[in-house]
Amino acid sequence: MTTPGISVLDGKYMVTMDLFPQQSKEFNQVHPFYAFLQEGRLCTTRCKDCGAEPFPPRVLCPDCYSTNMEWVDWPTTGTVIDFTEEVVGVPLGFGKAPLVHALVDLQGKKTFFVRIINCAAGELKPGDQVKLAVFDVDSVPQEVGRDVVEMQRVFYAFEPVK
Amino acid sequence: MDRNVCIIGGGMSQWGVRDGSQRDFFQEAARALYDDVPQLNPKDIDGLLVASAYTERTSYQTHLAPLVAEYVGIKPRSICARVELLCASGSSAIILAFGLIKSGQADIVMVAGGEKLYTPQKWEVFYSELASVDHDWDGPQGLGLPPPVFAMVAKQHMKQYGTKKEHLATISVKNRRNSAKNPKAQFQTPVTMEEVMAGRMIVAPLTLYDCCPITDGAAAVVLASEEKARDLTDKPLVYLRGTAQASLNNMSANMPSWTTWEALKIAASEAYRKAKVEPKDVNVAMTHDCFTISEIIEMEDLGFCKKGEGGPFVAEGQSDFGGRVPTNTDGGLLGCGHPFGGTGIRQGIEVMRQLRGDAVQQVPDATVGLTHNLSGFIAAHTVLIYGREVA
Repeated sequence: MTTPGISVLDGKYMVTMDLFPQQSKEFNQVHPFYAFLQEGRLCTTRCKDCGAEPFPPRVLCPDCYSTNMEWVDWPTTGTVIDFTEEVVGVPLGFGKAPLVHALVDLQGKKTFFVRIINCAAGELKPGDQVKLAVFDVDSVPQEVGRDVVEMQRVFYAFEPVK
Repeated sequence: MDRNVCIIGGGMSQWGVRDGSQRDFFQEAARALYDDVPQLNPKDIDGLLVASAYTERTSYQTHLAPLVAEYVGIKPRSICARVELLCASGSSAIILAFGLIKSGQADIVMVAGGEKLYTPQKWEVFYSELASVDHDWDGPQGLGLPPPVFAMVAKQHMKQYGTKKEHLATISVKNRRNSAKNPKAQFQTPVTMEEVMAGRMIVAPLTLYDCCPITDGAAAVVLASEEKARDLTDKPLVYLRGTAQASLNNMSANMPSWTTWEALKIAASEAYRKAKVEPKDVNVAMTHDCFTISEIIEMEDLGFCKKGEGGPFVAEGQSDFGGRVPTNTDGGLLGCGHPFGGTGIRQGIEVMRQLRGDAVQQVPDATVGLTHNLSGFIAAHTVLIYGREVA
C-alpha cells in the first residue's frame, strides 16, 4: 500500500482520511451500536430517567442531561417518503452512479435521510418499503501495545424489500 | 461601554480555480482592502479574525491567524484568532469583531476569510467534505457533498408549494448576469434561460447551473468603532445594526423541516429585532445561494414574501434590480464562487458598497442591507443587518 508523493506514509493508516467512524471501545463510547449492527439490529440510546431516545446514540441525554443511558432496539424497516438519485459527482467511496438516497419514515421513530443500496436507477418510488442493510467496511489497523490489531468494522444503509 | 461599529473598507483577491496558495490569496485580499481605505495605516489595525474552514485539510495549516498577520503586515494586540463555521465562517468572524469593538475590547479589526480548496488532485476537496456534515453518521451515507440534500429540499418544496424548475433557473440567470459584471467573480459570463434549462443533470431536479462551484480565493474587511471610522474614511459610514446566529440540529435525522428553515426564521427575527428593522425595510440582500432552491426558501424565511411563494416571487423579478429586494447583486455564490471562509466577507463587502453608494451595479438609495449564510447540513443560519444609520 503506497501513498504517492508522501513516501514516509507508505503502509500507514490515516484517521484524517477515513470515511467511516472509529468503532473500537478505545476510540468510541457508543461502540455497542456497531456490535448490534453486526447482529442486524438498529439501536440507539434511551434515557433511563426521562425516556428520551435521541439519535445518534450518545452518553448525555439532550433533554434532561442525565448520563443514565441504556440501549434500545429501533425498527429495521421503514417507508420511503421521497428519494434522490445522484448521477454526476458521486463522491469517492460510494460506488458507481447513481447514488440513491431516500427520506425514510422509520415507523414514526425518526425520519432518516439514508443511502439506499442494492437498488437500480429508477427502481425506487415513494411508499416503497426498505430495510436495514449492514455491510463490512475497511478494518482499522489499530496499535494495541506493541502490536497492530485489525479492528473489524461495519456500516449501514437501507435496501428495498423485495 | 457600548459603541457604534462601522465597516469601513473591503477587498477581494480574484476568485476561481486559482494558481497560488492560501497565504497568497490572503495577501491579495489585504492589498485590495488597503487600496479601498487609503487613510488607514495597516499598523494601526489592533485585531485580526481569520475565517477559514478547510485550512487544516487542504492547506495543512492550523494556527492560521498569526500566519496571516505576518503575511499581511499587521501586528494584532487585541485579538488574533481563527473562526470556523464552514460556509458561515466569514460572517461569524464579522459578528465577533462587531462584538469586540462594540464592547471596547478592540478598536480596529481586520476580518479576513479565504481558502485554497483545489489541491494537486481535485478529488481531495470533495473527499474532505465528509468533515462538513456529521462525519460519523451522515458522512458514511455519502452525504458529505451537498447536492443530494438540496435536491431533496427542492423536490419537497416543489411538491408542497408548486415551485417549478423555471423558478430555480431564474436565480441562476440573475446571479450569473450579476457576476459577469464583477471582475473578481469566478464566472465572468452570463447564462441564458435556455442554457440553464438544458444544463446536465446532477441530482434531479438540480442541474449544473443550480449548484455553486468550489472556489479558491480570499476577502478582507476592516471594522472600526464609529470614532475611529470617522478618521479613517471620507466615504459614507456603514454601521453594523444587528446580528444573530441560530442552530436547532446538526444531523439530518434531526431536521425540524426540509422546506421551512426554522433556524433561519429564528436568526432572522433576532437580527431584525436587534437592528430595529423589519423585512420590508431591507433594500438589498446577499443570501446564501449555494443552490438555487436555497435563495427561494431564503426569500420566504427571511420574510420578504409569504411562505411557499418564493418561486413566483423570484420569477416576477422581485429579488432583482427594480424589484422588492435586489439579492446577490454581485453574483452570489452561484456567480462569484464559494471559498467557504471568504463568502461571508464578500457579502459584507457588497452590502457595504451598496450602502455607501459605490457598488458596480447600484441599488438606488439603499439604506438597509442584509447578509445571510447557511452552513453544514442546513444546520446553522447566520444573519447580519447593516445600515446607513445606527440601530
